[in-house]
Amino acid sequence: MGIAETRHALPANRMIFEVRRDPAKFTDFADKLENLMEEYGLSPEERQAFRDIDIKMLGALGVHPYFLPQVSRLFHGGAYNHNQSAAAQTYGKSVVEGEGKTR
Amino acid sequence: MGEMVFVTGLSHAPGLTGWLDQAPEYEQKSLTEGFTRLGEMLRAAKPDVIIGIANDHVLNMPVDDVNDFCVGTAASWNGPAEWFRDWINVEPYTVAGDPDVAEAVFDGLSFRGFNPIEKSELLFDDNWSVPLVYLTPEYNIPLVPIHMNCVVPPVPAPRECYELGRAIKEIVEDELPNDMRVAFMGTGGLSHDPGGPKYFDVDEKFDRWFLSLLEEGDAEKLLRECPPEKMVEAGDGGTTELMAWIAALGASGDRPAQTICYEPSVALRCGMGCVYWNMEKERVDA
Repeated sequence: MGIAETRHALPANRMIFEVRRDPAKFTDFADKLENLMEEYGLSPEERQAFRDIDIKMLGALGVHPYFLPQVSRLFHGGAYNHNQSAAAQTYGKSVVEGEGKTR
Repeated sequence: MGEMVFVTGLSHAPGLTGWLDQAPEYEQKSLTEGFTRLGEMLRAAKPDVIIGIANDHVLNMPVDDVNDFCVGTAASWNGPAEWFRDWINVEPYTVAGDPDVAEAVFDGLSFRGFNPIEKSELLFDDNWSVPLVYLTPEYNIPLVPIHMNCVVPPVPAPRECYELGRAIKEIVEDELPNDMRVAFMGTGGLSHDPGGPKYFDVDEKFDRWFLSLLEEGDAEKLLRECPPEKMVEAGDGGTTELMAWIAALGASGDRPAQTICYEPSVALRCGMGCVYWNMEKERVDA
């Protein structure tokens, strides 16, 4: 897991890229995640990692590292993102502590 | 000919505007005072335009279609992009662009073989939104943004970024209108690891070493001793943003940088600091 291991054509990378750019896509991420994952053609492994909020697995599958803390913020919100915030703690639990699934 | 009147390298990590109150008081004071002073210095140089270079953060160039450099050509810019607003805690703003300067930069870089792309629509996140709070709080100096890919391999080499900075100085001096005053900023860094196992760590030893190299102003030594691999060791996915500072070194004409502030801020998950290059002072050995 690192920038050198990014899988450039991974559907999840395209989905995250656009969800951050397009408020309508973000609404879909929050309300219709399954539909959105279908729309972008995510693999079963990618879909399960999103369901589990398994950020470590997303990294292992080839999601760009820069997106990984953003995945946590997509689920938990980005405001006041200090080290004890839900988004930072979820990232820490999944990746830094290595627990993987957080849901 | 135009004139490069101010050059700076500064961090843009979102904690500076988003959750600075979580940092120890001495860090808050050091960073607030340092970045405020930097802004005062930049504005005192009275630039007509700021040319900046920063990480695109995979926000405008997707991982399967990246370019090394993208010049922003719009007449005005809006930021921050909606999804990033509450994260960086910066109110929506509009800042003018400068299409003429942008075209001169794009054409000049293309002519010199850098192969940039250009876009008239770019989303801004912390890359510009955080620095502008301190540098131009009234958003009254036009910005020509250059978005750089420094996190999706293959990334440009530090030497290419350095040469790009030198080329921009040439373009300013040779191809911009007489008496145009230009500031250059490289934003990003210092050590941080968004998306890696060192997310909550800062590599203070690396940061202070990198700053010392800039303070020497010896570009060849810096390029020789600080390859991308060394930046990645200090924080994969984030520290390579310092290639924007290396571009600034080139834009300064190899002058020694002066550090205004530095804090290895674990609370902000980033080595935070800023430097400037005194464009008035000739080098002793020049």
